[in-house]
Amino acid sequence: MALSPLVLPGDPIPPGALPTSSNPSIPLKLGPGLRHIPPDRIVPVVAGELCIDHKKNAVWVETNGGRYIPTAGDLILATVHHSTSDSFSCSISPHTPFASLPHLAFAGVTRKTRPQLNPGSLVYARIALANKHMDPEIECVNPATGKSDGMGELKGGMLFDVSLGMSRRLMMPNPSAQGSMVILDEIAEKVPFEMAVGRNGRVWVDAEGVAKTLVVGRAIQETDEGNLGVDEQRKVAKRLLRDL
Amino acid sequence: MPREPELSLNERSFVLQALQENIRIDGRSFDAFRGLELNFGDEYGVADVKLGKTRVIARISAEVTRPFPDRLFDGIFTITTELSPIASPAFEVGRQTDQEVILSRILEKAIRRSSALDTESLCIIAGQKCWNIRADVHLLDYDGGLTDASCIAVIAALQHFRRPDVSVEGENVTIHAMEERVPVPLSLLHHPICVTFSFFLGGGIVLVDATLQEEMLRNGELTIALNRHGEICQIAKLGGVAVEALTFLNCTNIALVKAQEISRFISKKLEEDLKEKNPSRLLVELSAENER
Amino acid sequence: MTLPDASLSHIHRADGSATYLQNGYSIIGGVNGPIEVGRRDELPEEATIDVIVRPAVGVGGTRERHLESIIHSTLQHVILIQNHPRTLIQVTLQVIRMPDSDTFNSKKRQFSSPLRILPSLLQTALLALLSASIPLSTTFTASLITVARGSNTVINPSPEDLQNARSTHVLAFSAEGDLLVAESQGEFEIGDWERVFEMGLHAARSGSENRKGADSDVVMLDDDQGGALRGLVQQKIEKDQKWKENIK
Repeated sequence: MALSPLVLPGDPIPPGALPTSSNPSIPLKLGPGLRHIPPDRIVPVVAGELCIDHKKNAVWVETNGGRYIPTAGDLILATVHHSTSDSFSCSISPHTPFASLPHLAFAGVTRKTRPQLNPGSLVYARIALANKHMDPEIECVNPATGKSDGMGELKGGMLFDVSLGMSRRLMMPNPSAQGSMVILDEIAEKVPFEMAVGRNGRVWVDAEGVAKTLVVGRAIQETDEGNLGVDEQRKVAKRLLRDL
Repeated sequence: MPREPELSLNERSFVLQALQENIRIDGRSFDAFRGLELNFGDEYGVADVKLGKTRVIARISAEVTRPFPDRLFDGIFTITTELSPIASPAFEVGRQTDQEVILSRILEKAIRRSSALDTESLCIIAGQKCWNIRADVHLLDYDGGLTDASCIAVIAALQHFRRPDVSVEGENVTIHAMEERVPVPLSLLHHPICVTFSFFLGGGIVLVDATLQEEMLRNGELTIALNRHGEICQIAKLGGVAVEALTFLNCTNIALVKAQEISRFISKKLEEDLKEKNPSRLLVELSAENER
Repeated sequence: MTLPDASLSHIHRADGSATYLQNGYSIIGGVNGPIEVGRRDELPEEATIDVIVRPAVGVGGTRERHLESIIHSTLQHVILIQNHPRTLIQVTLQVIRMPDSDTFNSKKRQFSSPLRILPSLLQTALLALLSASIPLSTTFTASLITVARGSNTVINPSPEDLQNARSTHVLAFSAEGDLLVAESQGEFEIGDWERVFEMGLHAARSGSENRKGADSDVVMLDDDQGGALRGLVQQKIEKDQKWKENIK
């Protein structure tokens, strides 16, 4: 796939560049990094790559930089800061207002069995509500099914910081094929591990023992920092596994 | 309001568990510094130091002023450290944090009060004119090891700096432009280097050059400033856990090795810079020194 | 005229960063945001912008406050501040090198026009904001123009031009060609200013000409600032998106 065109804030997007759906009933979807100026102007607001999905009739600007902005539906890794009478105040990224995690937003919890989370506990949660005028609200339960869907407190393991672009790549349904993230497959052959990726640029990894957990974490961080290609990733994986 | 974010319990226990197993998160051995990079600018007296992800730029500048009335035969030397929000939003403008105060005190003691710079050589006319040498330390990226990196940057920049030559005829002082006369290096009596040790798990584990993550978990710290001859200028242990005397002595031994390594590294870089920037400058400077 | 050089996102802790080199100036810019804002500075409907200019030598004074206020009012119109109400966007600009910092006379330095450094500061701020993915309504091109005796106008003047300058002007135009900043110092006539305006506009226009190339894969790097800016950002984005090359 050739690199799509670069856009800078304010660049006019030629109408021809917008996706054309075969089905006119699907409305055009604007993703992050674009704004609509009525009646018909669509203008990028960040610098990045203009990406288009013709099937979904969607267009967005992809960029790998900056701070995480909470968006409803995102899975994130948050740290509990303190508990109030009915919710936990959690930190999603440093120096931003706390998100609230209601005590009852956990799977199978009643008023009597509310969870006890100490300050500093790590939770895997979904952003339930994000609005620029309000502090975000997060939940550890799927409200439709009442199940945890793998969310909740994470015990043990280690947290690694990655770029926002890397966490998006890791969250693709198939990271090795869609995000050319082959290093984890390589490592998983030798080292079994568990992992939770937060869209806020945090990755939680747990494997058997400290050394093995670090191998996984370093593999992701090195790939991220060095922008490694597939072959380089394989080399790094080999080196890390050899040193183990 | 702005504070450094706290680590999660998972990170805390993992890092400490790893240390007990003799592993550091970045894979270094306990007594290893991170990769040190040192670059000089096009101008005299600018040193850009990268210690892992920590980055500090020190800039030396000189100005002619009147000496302090109680020190008529001395020039003036000041070190300014102001932490800027580029490095972390926790550093507020105009409000000094404890960290900033401690950093400037430690640098002050290590470099200025250990007489690294011979202030008497900065005197032009006693009681009337002297050089005011000023070191500005700019912190750009912060991942721990601030004291060590700043000290390296200031010492390297002082060695790199050249001030314009002056000549005195009676009461008249002429400052010669850099193009007119070969500028003069500062007279440095020795080159102190700071080495900071961090103590973990009640002082049982000692780390050199801790990252920010490690700094947030340590139980105590110890900064030793010394030169490559093993002359200790300062030992700062500001609170924290009690440390056994033997561990302490061991730290000074490690500090000496590190100070020698770093001093050699700085000299090597200075030589490279001199050769690369202007090969003829080297010859001119050698001859200028011979004249004296 | 020298073309600017820059590198983006090279500082780890800041959300966005850029180093910008032009005409002997070297500036490092860092952007943090949107972050929590202090109660006192909180605005209910828009983001608070905090601009900090730090000189290479010494602590900031009136001169820096003046530059900060110009940059602040410029960025307020470029950043989409309504997108992040009740937050803080912190722009820190650290001067690393100035062409006249070799002078050992600080008085002389103070008397040199503060406008000279303004275009570089503005450009650094823009690059750092782009690196931090802060939503912007547009990009801009800032240029320094001098009018010498005999009404000879020079864009991006050399040190000699600056010495001979009768008046110094800083103009910044948005990518659409709208005037964002107009600061002038010195003695000049309205005719001079009009020529300065045309010159600044032309420099910014030739940059935005390249925008038409945005729908093709190749962006021409012209000998102008706007084009150079685009090239610099392009390099960064290409590096970020390098992993996509392997996907068929």
